[in-house]
Amino acid sequence: MKKSHPIRRVVLATAATVSGVVLMLSLKPASDPNAQAAGAAPQQTAAAQQSPQGGASAAGSANGTIDGNVAQTQYGNVQVRLTVANGKITKAEAIQAPKGGTSDQKTALSIPKLTQETVTAQSAQIDSVSGATYTSNGYKQSLQSALDKMKASAGSSKPSASASQGSGSGSGGAAQAKTVTGSVAQTQYGPVQVRITVANGKITKAEAVQAPKGGLSDQKTALAIPKLNQEAVAAGTAQIDSVSGATYTSGGYKQSLQSALDQAGG
Amino acid sequence: MTTTLAGGRAARRQTMRRIRPRRSPATVLLLAVFAGAVGVLWLWWHNTPSIADQNGKILNAGRITGLLAGYLMALVVLQMARVPALERRVGSDRVARWHAMSGRYTLCLVFAHVFLIMWGYALQAGKTLGDIVQQTIDSINQLPDMGKAAIGTGLFVLIGLTSIGPVRRRLPYDTWYHVHLLTYGAVFLTFWHQITTGNDFAIEPTAKTFWYVLYGSVTGLVIWYRILTPIRLNMRHRMRVEAVIEEAPGIVSVLIGGRKLHRMGAQAGQFFRWRFLAPGMRFSSHPYSLSAAPRPDMLRITVKAIGDHSERLRELTPGTRVWAEGPYGAMTAQRRSRGKVLLVAGGVGITPMRALFETLPGAAGDITLLYRANTTQDLALWDELAAIADDRGARLMYAVNSPDGERPDISADRLRQKLPDIDRHDVFMCGPAGFAQSVYEALRGAGVPARRIHHESFEM
Repeated sequence: MKKSHPIRRVVLATAATVSGVVLMLSLKPASDPNAQAAGAAPQQTAAAQQSPQGGASAAGSANGTIDGNVAQTQYGNVQVRLTVANGKITKAEAIQAPKGGTSDQKTALSIPKLTQETVTAQSAQIDSVSGATYTSNGYKQSLQSALDKMKASAGSSKPSASASQGSGSGSGGAAQAKTVTGSVAQTQYGPVQVRITVANGKITKAEAVQAPKGGLSDQKTALAIPKLNQEAVAAGTAQIDSVSGATYTSGGYKQSLQSALDQAGG
Repeated sequence: MTTTLAGGRAARRQTMRRIRPRRSPATVLLLAVFAGAVGVLWLWWHNTPSIADQNGKILNAGRITGLLAGYLMALVVLQMARVPALERRVGSDRVARWHAMSGRYTLCLVFAHVFLIMWGYALQAGKTLGDIVQQTIDSINQLPDMGKAAIGTGLFVLIGLTSIGPVRRRLPYDTWYHVHLLTYGAVFLTFWHQITTGNDFAIEPTAKTFWYVLYGSVTGLVIWYRILTPIRLNMRHRMRVEAVIEEAPGIVSVLIGGRKLHRMGAQAGQFFRWRFLAPGMRFSSHPYSLSAAPRPDMLRITVKAIGDHSERLRELTPGTRVWAEGPYGAMTAQRRSRGKVLLVAGGVGITPMRALFETLPGAAGDITLLYRANTTQDLALWDELAAIADDRGARLMYAVNSPDGERPDISADRLRQKLPDIDRHDVFMCGPAGFAQSVYEALRGAGVPARRIHHESFEM
């Protein structure tokens, strides 16, 4: 029977909820400290024994180790290191993988499978481990970038540190190579834009600088773009197959690829 | 026919019972609810190692509000499951107010969740806040179970709109009630997207199991207490209208017969939700208090004809079948502590007070009833009250307006003058909101602690 103050209650409830949510959000770090520090440490030391200087040791030959880019996933970073001998992947390992809570289990479960698949497939066309989709996608992303670097350094006669490091352009050290960026193709789920590296009239590398994001698009992009990139390099033209389940993205990709090829040819 | 249901043996036996006060479990329940909310937030905290950017913050704010809304939604439904522990120990009126409050809060969380998530997705897709509508349509088309969730959210909007104070007051009760029943559908429809698209449930099988258990047990309780229990009760007791009696101008008593009615477990001060299976009345049920201690063959309710429904009660014919749900209400003898008791009734609020006056345990001189009405003619059930007062040596006082219409003085001083030891009384009170509020303040002024004033109010 106490006097009720509806307005006061509304203000209190709103203020408490908003400040609680903001507080929780602001307490979260911008990047996962576990994944970089504790998580990667043991693997990093193991890797370090084999190649003290990560990516740089790929220089000079197609042998050595190549580090992929860091792929950020919801649960932490994933980074792949490949050991290459005579243009073949002889070993794959994750120097960063999600850590903490259930991520430990998932990492322990999925990473060995993924690394094994990598050596078998010799490409990024590997199956995701069910129950560890985010980690698998991050792995594949990082793997793709490592493969791109491997190709770039193998294709160029005088590789440099920038070749093994170059994340975006990949064109830094490659002789006569040029990068061309296609026009933006608008699709229903977002813009697609392709960048290709052309050397001696051939596409040595294709990548998407823009691709649909958000919701299911993340998954579709992660699935389709690596395939499309590989197809583009293999075909050398925009006559590539669409990835089923990602028709719009594939269509946009081909459109942007065609415009890039037009520019490269002209 | 004068119906004094007073003086029954059962009632007299009750007056000699030991006083066994029981505490309301409200505090414990609220703590459990908060603990659950903390657990849900911990789930998010545990599954979110980092938030990279502004966009991630918006999405995660959407996830937090979504998780909380999903958790509270189950509790909002649970509060209306007519669980005896809530209805009889916390009190139906209090639970109904919790339900209204938490329902509003949960709906706000639902809308915040939808807005934040769609905004976050739009930003993630390289669009802006302005594309939120398109993003919502895309998400409904692409993500699993989002179509259902969208329909459910639409129902929530409708339910929320019809429950806003001014709208609700203009709507007929039945319309509001039947719209409100859609909540079950809305909760069902929105449940599935939580499981299939909810980040925390996708990666945490334990959380998923917990969610199924939470919603499953609420569903079980609703089916048990809202459907099966009333069916069993009415099959067993087979109640019918026996007679309708005019007690005072505009106040009627309905006598209800049936089998083994003392086995219903109803106590003085409690009420049932009544549905009379007569034309025009069968589709809505209304809460009316028992105005006498239940007898094995007879229950009695006393009602003031103020609404459509109560007006029609007058025309009930004997033999009409009655469907009852209950007993509900926590304003029973268990509420009091071991001292003396003052009962305060305003107008038709006499009904539960009349039953308590007859049955509250206590020696002669322990029980006092103060009855407020406009005129002496409006003092319904007065003869019975006088008989009970005589019988058990209780005090009976009334306060009516003076012949020139002046209101009687019920102030702290006046109460202390009449009952010098009023600060050692438990007070039970029933009456219109304004009356209850002014008496409450007078009682507090006279030194009665708030925890010893027991009041039931169904006004939101």
